[in-house]
Amino acid sequence: MNPTVTQPEARELKVNAPWRERVFPNNEWVLIVVILAECAVFSVTGNNFLSRDNAFEITRLSVEIGLLALALTPIIITGGIDLSVGSMMGLAAVVLGALWRDAELPMPAAIALTLAVGALGGYLNALMITRLNFPPLIVTLGTFSLFRGVAEGLTRGIENYSGFSQGFLFLGQGYVGGLVPTQLFVLVAAAAACWWWLHRTPYGRSLYAIGFSDEGARYAGVPVRSRLTLIYVLSGLAASLAAVIYVAHLGQAKSDAGTGYELMAITAVVLGGASIFGGRGTVLGTLLGLFGIVILQNGLRLSAQPAELAGILTGVLLVATILLDRLSTRARTQPRAAHTHAEDFEVRNSQVAILSAVILLGALIVAGSNWMLVRSVREHAAAGGAPSSPVAAGAPAGQPAGGGKKAVVALMPKAKGDPYFVSCKAGADEAAKELGVELLWDGPTDLDPAKQNEVVEAWITRGVDAIAVSVENKVGISTVLRKARQRGIKVITWDADAEKDARDFFINQATPQGIGYTLMDEAARITGGKGDFAIITASLSAANQNEWIKFIKERLAEKYPEMKLVAVQPSEGDRDRAFSETQTVLKVYPTVKLVMAIAAPAVPGAAEAVKQSGRTDVKVTGLSLPNMCKPYVKEGVIESIVLWNTVDLGYLTVYASNALAAGQLKPGDAGLTAGRLGKIEVAGEEVRLGAPFVFNKENIDNFNF
Amino acid sequence: MNFGRYKRELSALLAYVALLVAVGAAAPSFFGAGNLRDMALNNAPVLLVAVGMTLVILVGEIDISVGSQFAVCSVAAGWMAKEGVPVALLLPAVILLGSLMGAVNGALVGYLRLPSIIVTLAMLVAWRDALRWTTQGAWVQDLPRNFQWFGLGQGAAQWLIVGGALLVLAAFSWMLRNLSAGRAVHAVGSDAEAARLAGIEPRRVVFGVFVLMGALTGLAALLNAVRFNAVPSNAGIGLELKAVAAVVVGGTAITGGRGTLVGTLIGAALLGTIGTALTFVGINPFWEKAIQGAIILAALVSDVALGHLDRVRAMGLTLRAARAK
Repeated sequence: MNPTVTQPEARELKVNAPWRERVFPNNEWVLIVVILAECAVFSVTGNNFLSRDNAFEITRLSVEIGLLALALTPIIITGGIDLSVGSMMGLAAVVLGALWRDAELPMPAAIALTLAVGALGGYLNALMITRLNFPPLIVTLGTFSLFRGVAEGLTRGIENYSGFSQGFLFLGQGYVGGLVPTQLFVLVAAAAACWWWLHRTPYGRSLYAIGFSDEGARYAGVPVRSRLTLIYVLSGLAASLAAVIYVAHLGQAKSDAGTGYELMAITAVVLGGASIFGGRGTVLGTLLGLFGIVILQNGLRLSAQPAELAGILTGVLLVATILLDRLSTRARTQPRAAHTHAEDFEVRNSQVAILSAVILLGALIVAGSNWMLVRSVREHAAAGGAPSSPVAAGAPAGQPAGGGKKAVVALMPKAKGDPYFVSCKAGADEAAKELGVELLWDGPTDLDPAKQNEVVEAWITRGVDAIAVSVENKVGISTVLRKARQRGIKVITWDADAEKDARDFFINQATPQGIGYTLMDEAARITGGKGDFAIITASLSAANQNEWIKFIKERLAEKYPEMKLVAVQPSEGDRDRAFSETQTVLKVYPTVKLVMAIAAPAVPGAAEAVKQSGRTDVKVTGLSLPNMCKPYVKEGVIESIVLWNTVDLGYLTVYASNALAAGQLKPGDAGLTAGRLGKIEVAGEEVRLGAPFVFNKENIDNFNF
Repeated sequence: MNFGRYKRELSALLAYVALLVAVGAAAPSFFGAGNLRDMALNNAPVLLVAVGMTLVILVGEIDISVGSQFAVCSVAAGWMAKEGVPVALLLPAVILLGSLMGAVNGALVGYLRLPSIIVTLAMLVAWRDALRWTTQGAWVQDLPRNFQWFGLGQGAAQWLIVGGALLVLAAFSWMLRNLSAGRAVHAVGSDAEAARLAGIEPRRVVFGVFVLMGALTGLAALLNAVRFNAVPSNAGIGLELKAVAAVVVGGTAITGGRGTLVGTLIGAALLGTIGTALTFVGINPFWEKAIQGAIILAALVSDVALGHLDRVRAMGLTLRAARAK
């Protein structure tokens, strides 16, 4: 708003500028300070943070986002933006899977065609931006929906391509020389090429000219359109390359690949000193920004601190860096007339500002982690100080694993904020307290298979006694779980299983078949075995729900010929969306007598819609938590819900993990004594919680979760 | 009357009418009173946020943190109601909270002149994760009985929500056109420097617009929350994209200075109708996202078809106009 900074300062050629300004034209050195500060803090608070293995793991996890960030750097330098890169990853992953499996192309050909699709998508963006002169923000907002939508449409959200060859998976999972992750070479090559191109060729320099003023660049003889076309095509290409690596990394190709990656990549670029208005930015800065974020996330994980802190600190870092930058830019663009003393003074002022802000930031991080540390120590003291629970005193499984040393048990939900898993955590906490084990609870904030792998990797580095995972993606996580077993960590899956050889035990609360059949039987009971019904699912690509729907349909076909499934609508795990979808279903299919919602938040949403419609002839059933549904069950809108005792599930998982780590639970055992649950059945490599339970008006008050 | 000025709005309206005609032909029951009421109710919160977003985009900025602010306001409303805050006080309290969060954005963008897309990107992540940390994913349940529908009963409150949203839209539309503050929004968005020379304080305008954005987000969150008897902790994910898309489809120039709230109303109605319409017509919901993306792009291309492309503005290819701040 202030006329004094109408332009990013038009820098004069700085052949003789001090080295600091030549290497770090945008104060990127601040990021080095931040990264060093992070390393210093985390080497104290984190387990095994400063190890060679961890350093390489961090780089492996940053390859996909790094590629997107590198592609976005030239785009942002020209003053554009590309929001569609994450969605393009989803589309490219699906295309790769389809070409390889369905079209049976050899892998190299499939990869080549996938990259071509990516380039084509980028060209579509470029076409609308350069030929039709639309703002990049809007064009790529449109293709953001379009690419993801086409990916979902092509696969019906369900298709999950897996079973790739070892050679291909090596690209995403292997180590060159037993140490360096394979895909790191791709990132290094891409970064080097990008750096050379952007900073050492006239071609790259012309992008800065476009960013400063595309009109000016045009008059100076820069072919603006073709340059812009190229960078958007490259961006699509980079996104599809990232998708290939993502697929090799997880061993699966699904339409939800890369969801939300565009924001991470943009954050890295901007943190690295690029100006969103164009004309400024460096490859070095982007890489530093990327590592600043990734190290923060990794370090918090190894310090067993809440992952939410990463989001908050990233936000603070972002604002702080641009603020610093603005302050120092303002100092540098003061009128240059008084060239001697005045300028020196300004510069020194800005340096003081930057330094103090960095110190403040470092202090914030340290203070934040200290606070968490103190809190967790206090919790441990409280847990350890109290005498072991009465149950633990008697039962052999109740002793902490590993003799006197406190066992560390790490539990991962599919999504941390999901009410279902929040209730599991209550049980896990209870068990950890009784047993006196240290419980780590971490996982993705939203369903995200890549993030699950990342957390397991961090736990392996950190060193834990047992890992228990609720698996989102069977194929994807199995590789990393096998790696954990090789390192001597006991592995348990709970809630949903991985591949059999990737874990020691599976805590089986219900099989997908059991859930599907129970839901269908319950539906038939409510409707009397005839009539239409509709399903409200989570997202259309949710693996679990799709599995359940498969068994619901199977049961329907074999036992209930007079019932008909008329619609399956998505709720995206959002209650409000479930509400409006149910309203619409009731109007479009007036014959529907039952709505079956199979995601925890969807059931109350569907129930509220039925209630507000005044249709007392329609009932709701599904899979949800008792507390959420209580009011509706009592009013009679929800006839019943199907679930197991989730608190007990978390409780049992911690008991089993601890027993396994202590060597008290072995394959072939017939039973396991688990605290207040008593003797639990063990069959082969499965610990059985019991069959799904039906909650209704009569019994729902007995449960509080 | 000069229709040329409103060609962008007209093209969106044309697309909307075409959609309605197509759906009406395939499934006449779409126009049932109940369905129209439900669609209006479900889209009222998005509309309110889109009104604020129109103001923000008019001054040449953007706010992508509204989804997270919406969630914070929803949960806060639930907590306050549970703590026994009277329902009548909820409205001002939540609007105040929204305004405060808007003021943070406004201060950073308006007074410290940081780029809005970065500031609000930071806030998008920070508010969402702070809320996740505090709630640990738990819903706010066991609300007092008079929380749902403000204790007014379903029918009355439904009218209040839809009527309230439309009234807000009308009021802002009038103010943008007739008050000097409203004209200042257009002026700053067109050319901040010229506005400054004309005696407008651009910083204050930008700050004010972000505060209004926050206040409207708070209002939207409350009006959405009272339709239910519990508050989920993950409300509003993706709301920012819906709002921005509604504004842009409604013909407001992303570079600022040009646009109307009537256009935003049409844009919100168009995008809010697609999902429901697909179900009525019987198209598989798998294609919904793809169709939504196609409509956003089609709205852009229809501008060209109508021969009315504001070339001077779009020439920038960039967000460069924002640099003038």
